[in-house]
Amino acid sequence: MSHKINSLKFAAGKFNFSHIRLIIMLVTLILLVLGSGAPEIGSGGGVG
Amino acid sequence: MILLNGIILGLLFGWLLARRNNRKYAVPELKREWLVWAAFAPQFLAFYYNPTRQNIDETLASAILILSQAVLLIFVWNNRQHAGLLVLGFGLLLNLLVITANGGWMPILPDTVHLLRPDAAPGSWEVGARLGFGKDIVLNASETRLWWLSDRFFKPAWIFAPAAFSLGDVFISLGAFLFLTALGMEGQIYSIHNNSQGDLYAT
Repeated sequence: MSHKINSLKFAAGKFNFSHIRLIIMLVTLILLVLGSGAPEIGSGGGVG
Repeated sequence: MILLNGIILGLLFGWLLARRNNRKYAVPELKREWLVWAAFAPQFLAFYYNPTRQNIDETLASAILILSQAVLLIFVWNNRQHAGLLVLGFGLLLNLLVITANGGWMPILPDTVHLLRPDAAPGSWEVGARLGFGKDIVLNASETRLWWLSDRFFKPAWIFAPAAFSLGDVFISLGAFLFLTALGMEGQIYSIHNNSQGDLYAT
């Protein structure tokens, strides 16, 4: 039973870490794209 | 949105590919990620954040644009093993070339500004001047160097919002799409295991 709990804890830790890494990578990519591009948005437009 | 479309679609396609091939969605370690954050911070102050962009001198703002894009190019070069980032870097290089050739600003034609802001008050923009607090300068075609790299394409209002964009922007969006899609094919394949109690689990 404790082995099962430990496996679950390990899986949960791995899940969180990989998702945090994914979010950091996506934010980095968004900043890279916004910083690299230069589109001009018209009235009522948003960012990028 | 024109630039972020590549990210949204790339993430969606990559995730679908990973699911279809029973793989994890790969998250690579990008080299020198901090360069992107450091390069974008001054751009945020000069072009995006209203309280600061109003107080930053135009000469300084154009210098920030060129320098920060040069730093972003260094980041891309450090991560050139990713084909998508190479495509993105090519777009960035095109933008940097036309911006540098036109005094630190992305040129846009007066006709395109008319399409973008049909309701703009008279005198709110003029030829030869920066357009609002953005990265563009309004220039006639005859005054524009490398005009074919300028913000000359127009996306009409029925696709989210009207926008003018450059050839470089197209490669940037395409590169982001290719990068995120490829990650859906690079992750580990899930393995099904049997534990001592006979339960199945995936890793």
